[in-house]
Amino acid sequence: MPGVSLKGLTRRYGDVAAVDGLSLEVKPGELVALLGPSGCGKTTTLRLVAGFLAPEAGEIWVGDRCLSSPAAVVPPERRRMAMIFQSYALWPHMTVAQNVGYGLRFKRGLAGAERDRRVAEMLRVVQLDGYEARYPGELSGGQQQRVAVARALVVEPEILLLDEPLSNLDANLREEMRFEIRRLHEAFGITTLYVTHDQAEAMVISDRIAVLEHGRIAQVGTADEVFLQPRTRFVAEFIGKTNLVDGVVVAPDTVAVGSLRLRVGGAGLAAGERVAVSIRPHDVVLTDGAPAGVNALRGTVQRASFLGDGVDYQVRVADSDVVLRVAAPAAPRRRAGESVGLTIDPAACIPLAASEERNR
Amino acid sequence: MSRVLTGDLARAGTPRRWAGVDRALPVWAAVVLALVFLMALPLGWLVWMSVAASGGVTLRHYLAVLDDPALMKALWNTVVLAFWVGLASIAVGAPLAWLTARTDLPGKALIRSLVLASFVTPPFLGAFAWVMLAGPNAGLLNVLWRDASGASEALVNIFTMSGLVFVVTIYTFPYVYIMVANTLALIASDLEEAAAILGAGRFTIARTVTLPMVAPALVSGFILAVLQALALFGSPAILALPAGFHTITTQIWSLFQYPPKVELAAAVSMPLLLATALLLLVQKRLLGRRGYAAVGGKGGQRRPIPLGAWRYPALVGCLVVMACAIFLPYGILAKAALSRAWAQPLSWSNLTLGNFTFTFFEYGATQAAIVNTLELGVATATIGAVLVALLSYITNRRLVVGHQLVAFLALAPIVIPGVVLAVALFIAYTRPPFVLYGTLTILFVAYLTKEMPVGYAQSEATFRTIPPELEDAGRILGAGRLRILRDVTAPLARSGIIAAWCFIFIGVIRELSASIILFTPATKVMSVVIFDLKEEGQFGAIAVLGIAMLVLTFATVALVQRALGRDVLGVRE
Repeated sequence: MPGVSLKGLTRRYGDVAAVDGLSLEVKPGELVALLGPSGCGKTTTLRLVAGFLAPEAGEIWVGDRCLSSPAAVVPPERRRMAMIFQSYALWPHMTVAQNVGYGLRFKRGLAGAERDRRVAEMLRVVQLDGYEARYPGELSGGQQQRVAVARALVVEPEILLLDEPLSNLDANLREEMRFEIRRLHEAFGITTLYVTHDQAEAMVISDRIAVLEHGRIAQVGTADEVFLQPRTRFVAEFIGKTNLVDGVVVAPDTVAVGSLRLRVGGAGLAAGERVAVSIRPHDVVLTDGAPAGVNALRGTVQRASFLGDGVDYQVRVADSDVVLRVAAPAAPRRRAGESVGLTIDPAACIPLAASEERNR
Repeated sequence: MSRVLTGDLARAGTPRRWAGVDRALPVWAAVVLALVFLMALPLGWLVWMSVAASGGVTLRHYLAVLDDPALMKALWNTVVLAFWVGLASIAVGAPLAWLTARTDLPGKALIRSLVLASFVTPPFLGAFAWVMLAGPNAGLLNVLWRDASGASEALVNIFTMSGLVFVVTIYTFPYVYIMVANTLALIASDLEEAAAILGAGRFTIARTVTLPMVAPALVSGFILAVLQALALFGSPAILALPAGFHTITTQIWSLFQYPPKVELAAAVSMPLLLATALLLLVQKRLLGRRGYAAVGGKGGQRRPIPLGAWRYPALVGCLVVMACAIFLPYGILAKAALSRAWAQPLSWSNLTLGNFTFTFFEYGATQAAIVNTLELGVATATIGAVLVALLSYITNRRLVVGHQLVAFLALAPIVIPGVVLAVALFIAYTRPPFVLYGTLTILFVAYLTKEMPVGYAQSEATFRTIPPELEDAGRILGAGRLRILRDVTAPLARSGIIAAWCFIFIGVIRELSASIILFTPATKVMSVVIFDLKEEGQFGAIAVLGIAMLVLTFATVALVQRALGRDVLGVRE
């Protein structure tokens, strides 16, 4: 079971670099999600890995084979990969069994009976036994999706590529299929690249997440790492909700925001540096009366929106123009106009370089 | 998993120098070259011939056109004809489209089929039929009129400019109908209801909401109708020549009668070519405008508008149009085919199958012409369908650099009227290096070029409905590009390609305007024989051949409808 390594991949469309010097290591048997907003180059990256596109610079290696370089590209049909498409790309003129069995036609030395057996077995795995003779048009969206999964897995690929496979499903089914895909990954252990723009999906499914921005990797890490320790403003904002507060470093662990002083996590900041501090809404604790201790602030509730399992507050911090979103339990309820205390664990205040450019 | 992997290792290997190069590239290159050759050679010769002089370039031929009052008159007649045909087509086609697309008119499906019948009827057959119906002396309508009224004057005379406009219009209005009906079918009722809720009356809504939205389609239909009228040869030849006037197409044809004045014909062709190109450019820009885009797409509900007391009067109106285009002409053709003398009343003594025996067994040219037509039809449609399928695959999947240019070239012949194309081919292929004049091959080349845009458009639309992911999905599973073409693309595109085949075939069997210049006694086709028979006054035989042509056409149309599973006109229910 080989891994995949992307080394400095670049691909342009006209003047725009869709993928811009992208490097990424996927370990054998690992599932890595390529996560980013539309236009960040994640689908282009996937199509480069699949061999549908040739890179203008950089290389793609699978194990000890170089599959793509500007000089030569192994065509898709000889890469021993499988891919699941956003549209599923099932062939409407073939039955479910023909769709799933198509890739086996190109496996040498595989007898017809053995082919049928593997198709039947795979359809059982995706719970579609009995549907062999149906046409894709006769299946529901979820069933079509499972046919696409079966078609990709039955060829036992070295690498599995998924391009937003769940985005055409309705919300309930989507959630169910996340766990289903994770279950299949654990059962088969195929090295997998998974493209998505949905951060919850990426967090549930993947071993690691690669957050893409403008054709580059902004950060790679586990779900915990990218959520709790974002390295750039973009990552902090893209993964979950956050408050970003701009300030200036006054001590290795302290940032000045107007007249406020925020103790932040980590250390070793250079005094005078401009930073943005990321504070997740649920890391702010609301208290009655005057708080005491580190990062103890006072504020006024501007707006309270009851969401059922909690309340989304908008709190203006006293003596500043900073307004924080706070996610708090439903009780005790606080009303608009009420004065409250706020405390924030310094470890939850993540300083980020203010300028995007410095992270590049 | 390893059992598969070890077996495959040898196959995958490391990348080779040419591994990324499309192995189908030579195929693409050959197809594109063929296209360039088909287009560039004749048009290049045409332009050159119009300015050619011994040892240099001259404008003499153009000056000769300007100096010749007969040629100028023919140009003017063409402008008059085209303009009135355009207007009349709107007057007929637009109301018909509205009635069938938006109202509760009874028998909508029937009217639609009849419009389709009018669309595929060869216009010169209609012109022949109308000679028999409304010729000043023996025309059936005039005979009936004189019998009924005792008058000695004819009621109508088809051998006039207005007669010509009438006959051309009844087979040209479907262009307006298609444009308008397809647009109307896309306008959701809520757009009109939004106006109604604001207090607009039915007439105000039509004027302020519906009409502006179909305006681009109307103008576009007008342009298409004008283009048809400009390029038409058969109807003017049948109706205008006996009336003693020329249009530009008949004029070009007569310049080819002995002794041929090729340079002059080339020079006269240029204004026709330029006018066509210009009009198409206008139409394209018009359709690209915002007004049309607003109409595109979303499926709001469309509720038929109740006509109330007007339902049946409106139906009668539609049927009157259809009587002129279909019932009367088809009726008189059938009568002529079965009569000893077509102008005499239908009676047992006048009934005969002799026209059929004469046409198919006794008249010398017929059998060969039918064989030629079918051979050319099948050959052009088959080779043409393969060519347009490959071309549209290349442009749709952007397989070569300059694919936009390829698309442009494939559609370009649409600006070349048949007569002009024939002049260009005549010039190009009567001299080395390619001497094809007098062979069926030159007709084949003419038909292939002329029908390419229709086939290309049809086949391009087919590939647009096949997402490239369907091919990608197969390739990543191990199939090469050509294998995927066979397993996935071809089965999915099949019905669309069959439709393209049929469109080309229909176009070929009815083709007259290019054939009439390029044929030789050994290479006559059905339309040319029909034209010859007219010179001999053999109306019974014309009717028989015409009916044969119609049967072929409608059989092919039925095949398309089956292949596509929908109306050829593309009008939605």
